[in-house]
Amino acid sequence: MLLEAQNVVKAFGSFKAVAGADLAVAEGEIVGLIGPNGAGKSTFFNCIAGDLRPTGGRILFDGSDVTDAPPEKHARLGIGRTFQVPATFEDMTILENVMVGAFLRHPGRGEARDRALHVVEMTGLKEQAHLRARSLGTPGRKRLEIARVLASRPRLMLLDEALAGLTPAEIQRAMDLVREIHGLGITLVIVEHIMEVILTLARRVLVFNQGHIIASGSPRDVVNDPAVIEAYLGRGHGRKAQ
Amino acid sequence: MRWASLAVAAALLLYPWLVAGTDSAAFLQDMGALVLLAAIGASAWNIIGGYAGQISVGHAMFFGVGAYLPLIVYTQWQLPPLAGVPLGIAVSLVLALVVGVPTFRLVGHYFSMATIAVAELVRIVMGNWDFVGAAIGIMGPATPRGWWDLIFRSAVPYYYIFLVVLAVLLAVTWQMQRSRLGYYLRALRAGERAARSLGVPVRRYKLYALMLSATFTSLAGSLYALKTGFIDPDSGFGILVSVQMIITAALGGAGTLFGPLIGAVILVPLQTATNTWFGGGGSGLTYIIYGGIIVLIARFEPGGLVELWHRLAALRLQRRGAKRHAA
Amino acid sequence: MVLLQIIAGGLLLGAVYALFSSGLTLIWGMMNFINFAHGEFVMLGMYVALLVLTWIGGGPGVFGLAAALGLFILGAAIYFLLIRQVMRGPMLAQILSTFGLALLLRYAAFWMFSPNFVTLPPTVLSGTVNLHGILLGVPQLVAGLVAGLLALAMHLLLTRTAIGSQLLAVAEDRHAAMLMGIRPDRMQALAWGLSAASAGIAGALMALSYPFSPSVGETFALTAFVVVTMGGFGSVPGAMLAGLIVGLIQALSAYYFGPIYKDVIVYALFVALLWFRPQGLLGTA
Repeated sequence: MLLEAQNVVKAFGSFKAVAGADLAVAEGEIVGLIGPNGAGKSTFFNCIAGDLRPTGGRILFDGSDVTDAPPEKHARLGIGRTFQVPATFEDMTILENVMVGAFLRHPGRGEARDRALHVVEMTGLKEQAHLRARSLGTPGRKRLEIARVLASRPRLMLLDEALAGLTPAEIQRAMDLVREIHGLGITLVIVEHIMEVILTLARRVLVFNQGHIIASGSPRDVVNDPAVIEAYLGRGHGRKAQ
Repeated sequence: MRWASLAVAAALLLYPWLVAGTDSAAFLQDMGALVLLAAIGASAWNIIGGYAGQISVGHAMFFGVGAYLPLIVYTQWQLPPLAGVPLGIAVSLVLALVVGVPTFRLVGHYFSMATIAVAELVRIVMGNWDFVGAAIGIMGPATPRGWWDLIFRSAVPYYYIFLVVLAVLLAVTWQMQRSRLGYYLRALRAGERAARSLGVPVRRYKLYALMLSATFTSLAGSLYALKTGFIDPDSGFGILVSVQMIITAALGGAGTLFGPLIGAVILVPLQTATNTWFGGGGSGLTYIIYGGIIVLIARFEPGGLVELWHRLAALRLQRRGAKRHAA
Repeated sequence: MVLLQIIAGGLLLGAVYALFSSGLTLIWGMMNFINFAHGEFVMLGMYVALLVLTWIGGGPGVFGLAAALGLFILGAAIYFLLIRQVMRGPMLAQILSTFGLALLLRYAAFWMFSPNFVTLPPTVLSGTVNLHGILLGVPQLVAGLVAGLLALAMHLLLTRTAIGSQLLAVAEDRHAAMLMGIRPDRMQALAWGLSAASAGIAGALMALSYPFSPSVGETFALTAFVVVTMGGFGSVPGAMLAGLIVGLIQALSAYYFGPIYKDVIVYALFVALLWFRPQGLLGTA
């Protein structure tokens, strides 16, 4: 198991955003995380990424306990993530943004630059490499975030709604890129709202609702699960589907 | 661009010689040295305030320490003031750790608040400590015992010493800017959360930047003490010393390589002028103007003159492009 | 007996610290913004008191109110003209904005008034009272009590009134507040007005007992920084408690170690807080 979350709890005061969630991701998998808004998936996601410290439970990455580790440690061990609202370095160029990621594994400037150029080419950002990040639109920024993380040679990539707000054509391009990344041997955990993406890309899907994982399985099974339908559409609908 | 850079470099190198023939040669040469000294202080501040984006408003603490130590070793042990320079740097580094270690792990303005508090604390202590001359301050050698005392009648040797130090500092900054340290600092300034997610050890790198900055600020203080031959709590640790560094860097362009030098070239003569025109009350007016300039920079152009210049250049390019389309 | 007097005096001054620090922490909690010119607001309150008393006369009520009103308007104006815009900008702009403002206000005051220390003309509040053998100056006693009540009033305003909950809603989640129909801009301007007013009144109250000059703003700002850090991020009750503690520590330090140390010990305490308990007295780690 590359990533394991054991009974993770995250409470804010008396409110439990995540109330005991388990996850096990093997190397090379693509796992999807879905659920209605406010279900706790982003919070859970941020716990795995190291942005939030779990109130309870454990998170293990490749055998190491990263439960209380800061985000920098997560990154060094090989966990990379993108942000729901793109957090690119606005005043730095696209190439410079990607170089920041590259520097994690390549301390020397020349090597980092080479690595960054390679990733920029691979992600289709070569044309705009010398423009400032602030000149990009949202799809460009999301692509840049992916490139930036990719440059840091992660073993696991956490994508937080990386395809939200894209046009259908852009979604196709993005999915191709995700497949390409997976082809490099990188394990992926994807939070998404767009069903098509989850159904096509993920082999395994977990459904979050009210801080718990209420269903887990192949995309087809999960989509037809009455509990899942109820979570999204409300009481009664689940029973109707049966 | 090449020609402009060479012209500027030549002007800097030859300035004392160029003004030697004029009536106020000594005055102009002295001002030249002061411009370079201001540029050194501002460029040093720039490392932590400009590149790393951690705004120190109490940088005088390093400057003052750097200024006092050479004069202390002279008055107490009759050593050449130069011997106090490394001591000044060592003490400054300790102060940097005292301020940076607790605050860089916190989110928010704690660092800035801490810098004012510690600078004030040191100023008050020094002002009441007889060992360092209390409120009166201490003086350096009146006449040189040898070249190593670095006491010169003319401002010209100081000018060249300061020029060398500035060149070294700018070279170090340039090298830093291109290295991992530079990229990581810019990243954490642009977005700490994202930077950390990419493995940037934010807290450690902020400390590196602060220590580098403190070293050169201390050196600037030492150079000031060597040239002026005198220091007291206000000229070493006063808030106006910190203000001078900040406004000089911010006016030219915080986070750019030459911004601080540009700021110094504009502000030092300006300050000399307003002090002369308005006489005794002038220094009050100077600081009203300084306050106003800082507010205007913050409100309208935080990137300073360098950024303003870039924006105007981009506008001109746009307009030229539009004209071509129209034609 | 002398010790009790020192303690009482320290607590009374501490209550005034609590008042103006509450204003600072309100903004801090609401916008994650430290107003480096807050000390100058206190200083300006003192000079408003002086001007009103000299030209118009009247009692402490009049000039206190004038200080509150004048500074309220100044605070709101600064929000609309400067703060609102720099909040969208880089950290450099945010910190430099109020730092530059502090400089501007301080040296403008130096220029308009003299750099010499001045005192208020005598008012009806003078003399001393004897409370069970403890001698307290009437101005200090009144200042402390009024300040304490006003700080409490501010706390109640924030926690018990509709407008207070609107202010807190904006502090908590600006976006959500907007969705609820609250205008964040107006609330933030109101907060700035209240913050400045609290500083202004505190200044006017202190002017009753202590000489002042344009230079005092810097010290008050630092005092406020220590108090709000000790009290915890954005916590008005915390600032109230911490204000009293800082006033007490200052008074005791001055008594035992000499007047020079009263500020040094507070600043050293600040550094110690940052090292060992940055969340303050009431905050969580």
